[in-house]
Amino acid sequence: MSYDTIIELRKLLRHYQMGDETVKALDGVDLEIKRGEYVSLVGPSGSGKTTLFNLIGGLDKPTNGSVFIDGVDIAQLDAYELAWLRCRKIGYIFQTFNLIQVLTALENVALPTVFAGIPREEGLKKAEKILKSVGLGDRLQHRPLELSAGQQQRVAIARALANDPAILLADEPTGNLDLNTGMEIIDLLHGLNKTRGLTLVAATHDLKMIKASDRIIWLRDGQVEKVERG
Amino acid sequence: MSSVEEVHRVTFTVRDAIRLGIDYIKRRFQRTIINVSSIALANSFLSSLILTDLFFKTYSQLETTSLSVEAYQYWLVFVALIVSIVGITNAMLIAVYERYNEIGTMKCIGALDQHIMMLFLVESSIQGLSGGVIGYILGVLAALVSTGMTTGFDIILKVPISTILFYFVGTTLLSGILSVIASLYPAWRASKLRPVEALRYEL
Ligand SMILES: Nc1ncnc2c1ncn2[C@@H]1O[C@H](COP(=O)(O)OP(=O)(O)OP(=O)(O)O)[C@@H](O)[C@H]1O
Ligand SMILES: [Mg+2]
Repeated sequence: MSYDTIIELRKLLRHYQMGDETVKALDGVDLEIKRGEYVSLVGPSGSGKTTLFNLIGGLDKPTNGSVFIDGVDIAQLDAYELAWLRCRKIGYIFQTFNLIQVLTALENVALPTVFAGIPREEGLKKAEKILKSVGLGDRLQHRPLELSAGQQQRVAIARALANDPAILLADEPTGNLDLNTGMEIIDLLHGLNKTRGLTLVAATHDLKMIKASDRIIWLRDGQVEKVERG
Repeated sequence: MSSVEEVHRVTFTVRDAIRLGIDYIKRRFQRTIINVSSIALANSFLSSLILTDLFFKTYSQLETTSLSVEAYQYWLVFVALIVSIVGITNAMLIAVYERYNEIGTMKCIGALDQHIMMLFLVESSIQGLSGGVIGYILGVLAALVSTGMTTGFDIILKVPISTILFYFVGTTLLSGILSVIASLYPAWRASKLRPVEALRYEL
């Protein structure tokens, strides 16, 4: 069961009802993303990037239209299957890192392996290996607040990788980082895309991030304005 | 078919919840202390009354006098328990509110509603049980201090140890159960949060 298209969006609509007014956060998006592709979602503030990120990741439900992941309409999944999708298939990376503050870097990265049913020792070992691979081998026992912003984002990326997902979804991953740190994170993500063949979908304002991608989707007012090859 | 389902299941055991719950308790110690003391206070009140009664009765049997605890004092205990439940519910609601982002994150990495619920309930039962233990010890001491003048402090040696243990187990369990009951609504609220809502929220 291997499709060349890993993500497919059909006539995707997400409207918000605000009193009498309807906010069309997404207004008919059709899109196909290939396995191993690196796609940037670009557009002005309010154009619908985060909304699209949430829908692809199964974190929100569309008003209309469908999201297919590996050929499966995720609207058809029950709570267990959806949790499994989030746990095993997709890795999420956020602008604000979203690490669990009470846990160490190692425990944060190992947490998804707990839900994946991997024995604790094995999960911790795997987490350590991944943290080393993102250059944080000497920060295993640090808590998020004891790490720099760039290091926190690395932990978040390591966590996203914990269950070997096929897709990495990132919403402005460099939004809270300075220029150089941002550049390092971009290189890291780009490297994962190239070496591991991970499909990378990133919403971003960051020009350097856009330049590295295979394809650029320009959003405006909830619609695809244009598509560019990177 | 069933093997496919097996593969597509996320897992999160009570043991995992306990481990995480202990992490939360250790690292958010101040909030924990408030909850634990509220339960400890209520249980110390309850157990001091029970034991005072026990000491009096034992003494009365030995000395053929009649001493007992007034019924209205049990009403006070009842009120103390209610106050403690309301306090815990409130504290747990605040904890849920503080952890919006983490709840959303947990759901992103595979947590189901019932896992989030379990996490909060395990945490509150740990708090309830430890508050119960502390409260009972305080209660025994309080009962001993207040009755000792009349009955002599060696009264504690005259009541069967099994009775003291019985009340220890009983009131500790009661504390745990009350703490869980008080946390049911907050835990349910937390579990029902949709990941987008939980993540949008920033403290
Ligand atoms: N929960 C909501 N209720 C109502 N409207 C919403 C909600 N979430 C998003 N919107 C609206 O949907 C539109 C798209 O929002 P979205 O967050 O997707 O934009 P964005 O492209 O990510 O912007 P930014 O670059 O600022 O992050 C905006 O007009 C926003 O106001
Ligand atoms: Mg956004």
